[in-house]
Amino acid sequence: MMRRILFNLSVWSAVLIVAFPLFWMVVTSLKPQVELWARPPALLPLEPTLEHYLTLLRDTSFLVYFRNSVLLSTATTLLVIGVAALGAYSLVRFRYRGRESLAMLVLFTYLLPSVILILPLYLMMVKLGLANTLVSLVLAYTTFALPYALWLLRSFMAGIPEDLESAALVDGATRLGAFRDVILPQLLPGIISTALFTFILSWNEYLFALVLVNSDATRPLTTGVMNMLISSFNIEWSMLMAASVMMSLPLIIAFSLLQKYLTRGFGAGAVKG
Amino acid sequence: MAGVEFSRVRKEFGGFTAIEALDLRIEEGEFVSLLGPSGCGKTTTLRMLAGLEFPTAGEIRIGERVVNDVPPGQRDIAMVFQSYALYPHMTVRRNMEYPLRKRGLPAAERQASVLMAAEMLQLTELLDRKPRQLSGGQQQRVALGRALVRDPQVFLFDEPLSNLDAKLRGHMRAELVELHARLGRTMVYVTHDQLEAMTMSDRIAIILAGELQQFAPPQEVYRAPANRFVAGFIGMPSMNLVDGRLAHGSGSWQFMAPGIALPVPALAETAVAGEACLGVRPEHVHIGAGELQGRVQLVEQTGHENIVVLAVAGGIRLTCRTPASMIPRMGDTVDFRIDSERVHVFAPGDTGPRLNLPA
Repeated sequence: MMRRILFNLSVWSAVLIVAFPLFWMVVTSLKPQVELWARPPALLPLEPTLEHYLTLLRDTSFLVYFRNSVLLSTATTLLVIGVAALGAYSLVRFRYRGRESLAMLVLFTYLLPSVILILPLYLMMVKLGLANTLVSLVLAYTTFALPYALWLLRSFMAGIPEDLESAALVDGATRLGAFRDVILPQLLPGIISTALFTFILSWNEYLFALVLVNSDATRPLTTGVMNMLISSFNIEWSMLMAASVMMSLPLIIAFSLLQKYLTRGFGAGAVKG
Repeated sequence: MAGVEFSRVRKEFGGFTAIEALDLRIEEGEFVSLLGPSGCGKTTTLRMLAGLEFPTAGEIRIGERVVNDVPPGQRDIAMVFQSYALYPHMTVRRNMEYPLRKRGLPAAERQASVLMAAEMLQLTELLDRKPRQLSGGQQQRVALGRALVRDPQVFLFDEPLSNLDAKLRGHMRAELVELHARLGRTMVYVTHDQLEAMTMSDRIAIILAGELQQFAPPQEVYRAPANRFVAGFIGMPSMNLVDGRLAHGSGSWQFMAPGIALPVPALAETAVAGEACLGVRPEHVHIGAGELQGRVQLVEQTGHENIVVLAVAGGIRLTCRTPASMIPRMGDTVDFRIDSERVHVFAPGDTGPRLNLPA
């Protein structure tokens, strides 16, 4: 009994430690300006207000940044999943010279810190005429999300028995048809977890966005909000918190919808056959 | 209806030659087993027939058509896999329907075919379940059903029974034989289990290291094995193989090994005196009376008979079958004789060809 209580207590304190900043973020975003610096701080706002949210939505470029982030992350995710799924399929199903070293080489690119890559990448984008566009960010994000996605999907793919595909071929499917009808449904949990991972990575990315784009029309949320609300002399805490809440919402919604697949996905990757 | 023909088919994987030069002609409506130890190339042969592997050289025909470059879906074949390969996310009905769907059959026809196959295999109750909700035996039937609905020219089986328990396997063997009799379609069956091959096939193709050793009906394979490998591979317990010498004298041949001297029946003209191998089935060694002696080393009682291992001079051991009532004591020395009309003589070497004419 004592053990149980202790166990529960420690779990709940862990949850609390993790959840408190989130809670504080929401609370701060709802406090009117005057309450912000009150001593001692109040746990809950006395007069909750949505004014910070309204200011952000009405008077700033927040919605432009938001749209940019959605476009950027969605495009990156689609591109990465598309390329990684086909690449993983090739690495698992076909035998060709240098297959293993190719897979290792892809992972090797991860060993280079992104700070090293960022300047050459920037110069390349300028040469390509893509400087200061969302496309440049999609390409940049793909370079660092793809290797991981490829390896993740490769292990999922390896868990799908080859006989399934052979059976579909004998049953009259084309190779692409077999991939769509049989492989893809089996791969779905893997695709969902990989997609979520890629989406989060691009949604939260800061460094590349800071270097590669510098106009308000193309900034994503991370650099946009930073640029708008944090200056050398002042931090707009309540607006920053309101922006943070709105930034977190899409991820929280996506997680809660896809949680089912996510856990199933981890199981499917671990147990073969 | 269509037969199958391999002519001079060769298959290499990288530098490794899996199939040397296979010639095999399967008549229409025939049930043929490809039998051999694992890694002998029998599955590769089947996969080439299915279109899942492509031959490096040679020609494969189904009926009159050369299918070397025809994709699997257009060969008018159906295949049952060892792992069953049921689509996990589809119900039994959808699984069985899939090949028909891929051929663009209308829904009503698809349903009719599925129901007919399901009835034949007693799957009607299970049509709306997912594969993971079925037992191994049921999954096996669904795999069979998925092959049946199409009414293909040729059925291919890749060790379909090896994941079932012994009792169910016996049952499914009988069912497959019945199915073959009913459909009259050409069936090619890959197995490493000689019992399956012996009990079900019209003819057995025995393959070793990518080379065809013998292609004949089960009885012939048993009674007149073409070479030493086939002789040792077919039969349970396996044939006794004794290395010794052939000698020619006064118009007849003699086989000699330590403790054994035996006249052998008509040999082929290619036979020469010298090293040779004698093959004797356990049922042709008779304990009781005779001019040979051996010490009883082991007695295994199976119920309806006993398997006795005799130690003869020179480290030679002979396995023999005795009736259930005759149980020799271990360690005793007994007299025995070898039925010399029924022995086989092979040239030396692992696949030394048969030298005596079939009895």
